[in-house]
Amino acid sequence: MDLTDLILDPLRSGIWRRAAAEVVLLGGICGALSFWVTSFRLSYPAESLAHGLLPGLVLAALAGIPLVLGGLGGVALAAGCVALASRDPRIGADSATAVVVTGMFGLGALLALSPDAPPRLEELLFGDPLGITHTDLISALALAVVGAGALAALHRPLCAVAFDAPGAGALGLRPGGVRLALFMLLAVAVAVAVQGLGSLLVLAVLVAPAVAVRRAATNPGVAMLSGAALAAVAGLAGLYASHHLGSAAGASVALALCLAAVAGSVLPWRLRRGEARARRGRRAAA
Amino acid sequence: MPTLATVRLGENDSRYAPGVDPGTVPSPLDLLDLPLTRTALAELTLLAICGGLLGAFVVLRGLAFFAHAVGTATFPAVVVADATGFSATLAGLSAAAAYACGVERAGRSVRDPGDSATGLLLVAALGGGILLASDVFESGAAVDRLLFGTAIGLNGADLALSGAAAALALAATILFGRTWAAVGFDSDAAGALGLPVRRADVLLLGSVALAAVAALPAVGALLVSSLFVVPAAVARLFARDVPALLLGSVAIAACLAVLGLYLSLWLDVPPGPAVAVLGAAAYGMCALLTGLRASTRTPAAGTSW
Amino acid sequence: MTRAPAVEAHGLALGYGGEPALEGVDFEAAPGAALCVLGPNGGGKTTLFRALLGELQPLAGRVRVAGRPAYLAQTERTRLDFPVSALDVALMGSLADGRWWRPPGRSQRHAALAALGRVGLEGQASVRFGELSGGQRQRVLLARALTQDAAVLLLDEPFAGVDPASAERITAVFTELRAEGRTLLVSTHDVESARLFDLVLCLNRRQVAFGTPAQRLGREVLETTYGSDIVVLEGSGDTAVRAITVQHHEH
Ligand SMILES: Nc1ncnc2c1ncn2[C@@H]1O[C@H](COP(=O)(O)OP(=O)(O)O)[C@@H](O)[C@H]1O
Ligand SMILES: [Mg+2]
Repeated sequence: MDLTDLILDPLRSGIWRRAAAEVVLLGGICGALSFWVTSFRLSYPAESLAHGLLPGLVLAALAGIPLVLGGLGGVALAAGCVALASRDPRIGADSATAVVVTGMFGLGALLALSPDAPPRLEELLFGDPLGITHTDLISALALAVVGAGALAALHRPLCAVAFDAPGAGALGLRPGGVRLALFMLLAVAVAVAVQGLGSLLVLAVLVAPAVAVRRAATNPGVAMLSGAALAAVAGLAGLYASHHLGSAAGASVALALCLAAVAGSVLPWRLRRGEARARRGRRAAA
Repeated sequence: MPTLATVRLGENDSRYAPGVDPGTVPSPLDLLDLPLTRTALAELTLLAICGGLLGAFVVLRGLAFFAHAVGTATFPAVVVADATGFSATLAGLSAAAAYACGVERAGRSVRDPGDSATGLLLVAALGGGILLASDVFESGAAVDRLLFGTAIGLNGADLALSGAAAALALAATILFGRTWAAVGFDSDAAGALGLPVRRADVLLLGSVALAAVAALPAVGALLVSSLFVVPAAVARLFARDVPALLLGSVAIAACLAVLGLYLSLWLDVPPGPAVAVLGAAAYGMCALLTGLRASTRTPAAGTSW
Repeated sequence: MTRAPAVEAHGLALGYGGEPALEGVDFEAAPGAALCVLGPNGGGKTTLFRALLGELQPLAGRVRVAGRPAYLAQTERTRLDFPVSALDVALMGSLADGRWWRPPGRSQRHAALAALGRVGLEGQASVRFGELSGGQRQRVLLARALTQDAAVLLLDEPFAGVDPASAERITAVFTELRAEGRTLLVSTHDVESARLFDLVLCLNRRQVAFGTPAQRLGREVLETTYGSDIVVLEGSGDTAVRAITVQHHEH
């Protein structure tokens, strides 16, 4: 088998093509979003949301409605519970989050492991890119379009708040509002991305791309674009690996992303588009 | 086109509660009558002691994320051990110890060991574990047990480990409880008082890591926090001082564990999720009873979102 | 005809929940005035600025500022690991126009580059903010305030921990800003630099004095402002006192 076969062989399967499209779409938008997840230290909240929405997913699977609806419902409930619990001053916000997430995740497992439930839990936990339906693809596409628009519109406030939140407040922005907008975008992204990667592994695509490009990127735009590209490529690599080695698809994609994160943060590379732009600006000013 | 090579959880017919007719409501006495459930009862009670004691300090010190992460980090190691017949305890212990050392070595505060690094590590552990389980060892049926625990697969060795963990937690609470409590309430002031904050933290991390491994067989890698965070969080709603918190947390953990075990036999599900759901429900009810509404007007300082 | 003051406070009291941190504040600064806010550590300078920014609601009295002031914070609260260049930071000042969803235009880019030029950092425009020295970072943050093009600038201890070259450059910018008719409020605990301003406002948990430096910077006012933290070197009564402050502890 030569190289072209290695690359073209999986493309003959419609299932694999759908999986590839899903991974590229999710990788693109979540890879860009991941820069803000790490900048605003939202990895733990993202993980909590992803685990906490499990009961929503399981109920959707049991009821036979599109998983993305269950995911959105579950994520809204989880976010509401976490927000409510973490306002209680008696236990810290992270203990409160742990209580809510433990409970919700337990409920999801309980529902899914009860004798009457169809055995789909592993899919919901670890994802099944090869089981992607057209509904999933459409929701991923919608997420990519809406998310890209939101990230573009919010770009300057996000930069200003991540860099210096009180200073951004003095400039007339509302840091709390900017954070809330980002958080809502993250919640929707989690709900949509669990279709491909499952509740336990979705964090990979929301954290790993940014970790990979963080040290190399010299400005937020470059970090987002390169994170998106890297996530799409690493996701595809994971799918190819899963095809040729016969390994579990969701876990292969997640591990490929983690490997990319490790490689990216260890290798000495540097993305410098900011420099060229600044030079152009200087010339224009002169 | 290879088949989708993932594990099928929950497909094995040997469910979680043999000896109890599925669909019937078991008598609570069954918990004592059947040898298997007797073992499970003893195991969960021992774990409640160590989870309640250490959990109180976990909540005081804000280490909930660590408790959750250290359980999950053991997953690939126990998958390998389970499949190769190596001691799952030793494998889990080494993974937990490696994780605790990594957090400690990272040199940051133990409460905040690098948010994205922890997230990545969790995902890598779960992804690696599931890949090993489904494709390398093809140990499909074991995965739900490793993730969510079992009430019936427990044996004397598990019991011994939990007993040791409970004894250790008790001893550590007696020896270091005052330091941990002081550090938990105000680590800066404790440092100024000359208390060894860092050593106390390392010791607490180590104890939690060890105890989490002891809890793996019963509640599984994903739901360690159902015994190490939730009961103490419930107790925190009532307790006015540290002794009350410790006692309350152990008592609540024991109640939750026994009820959870009963529920798991009744509904034929693993005990981990049952304990977790009961705990969260208990927390929600108690929080409402003790006046969540009054306290929401003064949001906690430093809530992250 | 008197013009409306650019900054005014009347009967102002401010606090953080307990005892007021600052009370009895009453002053006005006309457009184009340079006002020095003088006081020891913990005297309430930052607290006053936060009220002028609208971050802190008064316990009593009122404040008014003409337009949104530009602000240079005392302690650097920036994230040094966040990948932005000096130019990106200077450009953030143009967010004050309220149109945050629009990418920065050509004129805003020019304004940001010009601001970097005024603080002497045009050559560092593309350098990552976190890689600059402390004094250079302070100048970039000043450039962000300049880009904002505000009529009133609040500068909280802008010389603290800044190298002499940067301090000189910052002073030169202040002179330019005054010449442009902007209102400047600069806080400091250094008595000597206060003499260069049009007006001085002495704070020590309450307003001790307000007026021109020549009128107000006498022994009595300084001793009330600083308590035991001051050593008066020469002079007597209310004439030309030379004094140095002794900082017991910097927080
Ligand atoms: N966020 C805060 N919460 C409570 N008290 C504060 C806060 N910030 C400042 N203070 C108190 O207000 C007083 C004035 O502080 P500040 O305005 O920072 O003084 P200065 O800037 O002159 O050094 C101090 O006693 C300080 O302890
Ligand atoms: Mg100050």
